[in-house]
Amino acid sequence: MADAAQTSKPTWVQRLRGILFSQEGILLLILLGVIIVLAQQNPNFWTVRNLLNQGRLMSEVGLVALPMTFIIITAGIDLSVGSILGLSAIVLGVLWKGAGLPLELAIFLALIIGSLAGLMNGLFIVKLDVPPLIMTLATLALYRGLAQGISQARSVTGYPEWFFIFGQGRILGLPTQLWLFIIFTILSIIILRRTTLGRSLYAIGNNPVGARFSGLPVGRNLLIIYTYAGFMSALAGVVFVSRVTTTRSDMGAGLELDVIAAVVLGGTSIFGGKGTVIGTVIGLVLIQLLKNGLALSGVTSDATIIVIGVVLILAILVNNFIQLKRTS
Amino acid sequence: MLTILRFAVLSIFLTLGFSLAQGWDGGDDLPTNPLACGEGGGGDVAMMDYNGGQAAGEMSMMGEAITIIDVPKLVGIGYFAATTLGQQQAAEELGNVTVTTDAPTEANIDDQIAVIENYIASGDINGILFAANDPVAISPVLRSALEQGIHVVGYDANSEPDAREWFVNQAEFNGIAKSMIDSLAAEKGEDASFGIVTSTFTTPNQARWIAEMQAYQEACYPDMAWLETLEAQEDAVLSFNQANTLINKYGEDLDGILGMTSVATPSSADAVTQAGLCGEVAVVGLATPNAMKPYVNDGCVESVVLWNPVDLGYAAVHVMRAIVDGELSPGDTSVMAGRLGELQVVNGSEILLGAPFVFNADNINDFDF
Repeated sequence: MADAAQTSKPTWVQRLRGILFSQEGILLLILLGVIIVLAQQNPNFWTVRNLLNQGRLMSEVGLVALPMTFIIITAGIDLSVGSILGLSAIVLGVLWKGAGLPLELAIFLALIIGSLAGLMNGLFIVKLDVPPLIMTLATLALYRGLAQGISQARSVTGYPEWFFIFGQGRILGLPTQLWLFIIFTILSIIILRRTTLGRSLYAIGNNPVGARFSGLPVGRNLLIIYTYAGFMSALAGVVFVSRVTTTRSDMGAGLELDVIAAVVLGGTSIFGGKGTVIGTVIGLVLIQLLKNGLALSGVTSDATIIVIGVVLILAILVNNFIQLKRTS
Repeated sequence: MLTILRFAVLSIFLTLGFSLAQGWDGGDDLPTNPLACGEGGGGDVAMMDYNGGQAAGEMSMMGEAITIIDVPKLVGIGYFAATTLGQQQAAEELGNVTVTTDAPTEANIDDQIAVIENYIASGDINGILFAANDPVAISPVLRSALEQGIHVVGYDANSEPDAREWFVNQAEFNGIAKSMIDSLAAEKGEDASFGIVTSTFTTPNQARWIAEMQAYQEACYPDMAWLETLEAQEDAVLSFNQANTLINKYGEDLDGILGMTSVATPSSADAVTQAGLCGEVAVVGLATPNAMKPYVNDGCVESVVLWNPVDLGYAAVHVMRAIVDGELSPGDTSVMAGRLGELQVVNGSEILLGAPFVFNADNINDFDF
């Protein structure tokens, strides 16, 4: 975020203003405000224990939000991520228990299947020019149907103790899946900011035809990011299975909405061409802490959804308003 | 388009699966224990050692005021509104218990776990009442509650036994299964063909009932034919559509629809009424009386099988109070539950509410929940 305003020799004040009034800066301020209010409501909110637990709970959505940021930057969308999560979870369970494969191999194959599911989305979108919304709406149903068919809708349980490290364990004091999320976040930031692949995503989102005529490998890059989304959904699926110790075909249903909410709240434009990974992470944390903090303050779940909806709208309005003032 | 596609894919794979599957769809693989055919046949309950968990810590709160959080599968449906009502009645009667109900608005395993996590973190509850969306998935969070000295009692839908202290069992599975199949046989004969509308194939109660129904039907009415089980979450629109699917798909062959949830049964009755098939297609199922009164009073539905969910919630709070007061400990064979009197302990760490109840035109108007 430090070089958000790389104009010619900016003064300190200009740089600070640049950071502060950037999409992410404003969101960060809103996040801080929310944290201060919530921390005053309940003494158990701002504790290491609770925060780590929230980190654990938000990691699955977070893992999928990273590739989703890429996809939305290209003006695409992937609605099938929740179904890919469910499909991979079922593949993991069925290969391990049903086919008797070693669990390590089953995990590996589940990740492969998830990646292939993502690749298939990409192939139809790139080669057959199916709009991403239509394609992934179809595979949202297709992959979920596969998961239910393969599993005969029965759950798989009885995983060995070591497998629970992904979802329930800790490494160096942090929940395992939070490490995964941090590693992939850093990786995604580097890809988006420092590689030609990452930079080309903005070009694709702004003007796909122009990007193609500029000699950018548009098709290849889209295939890569949809496959990445499939892989990350499968990874989130493995973490999910490990956390709840069972495999069900309805796992991850509705996940796509949580993911897209975090990405869009984080300032990524649904029209493409604009967005950052940091913004997505802030959006994700904001939603998670709001849910948690409101619950701790005694707000019931149904009321929490309403508050989150209102906050989402407000945050986006405030942001748009400030961005508008900046540009004018 | 979405529904059609999903349905198409689902049916293809389900049909493929039929050749492999042994049991009915929606049943579980656990051993069954069908009751004797015909009238009566209560069956003796085998004694088992206590197999529940134990809350950590020795802090006795005997007689002190306690705060309980109640986390049903979801909020916003009549059934869990009734259990909440029963809990509030018990709380009022006891005077030293505060119960708050909070749960997701959809029956979702992940959201339910998050709700419980949050209440544990808030640090101001002494007990958790729950009705599990998934028996295995909910267990880790319940165990962590026990470790922190929070008492845990299940009702309606169980977790793994060691993840809670006691479970209030609304009715033995084989008892419900017998009532359902007997009612169907009484209405449509011993060779009736029927379909089932359930919540999801993995929901523990429904899976258990379906497995027990199959065992009882095979033993007592071998000529009955099971056509298909369809999933409908606990969603009224989906249940209506699935009941219509059964009606359209099997036409004349369909003698009855068994509704496995309090949402599926009235929706199925609605579908049969709208198709003008009252009397042709019987609807037997689990449901709350208020939802079924129109259909029972019309004569479209003859039998509604259920326990009293108000009593279920009421008993759960009494059990929680009894644990805290030291009146119910591992090894006990019964517990006093206020107006319900003495309830029996079964299956090691379960408390049985009583025999299932069949509502019909003669008695349904006496109930209001």
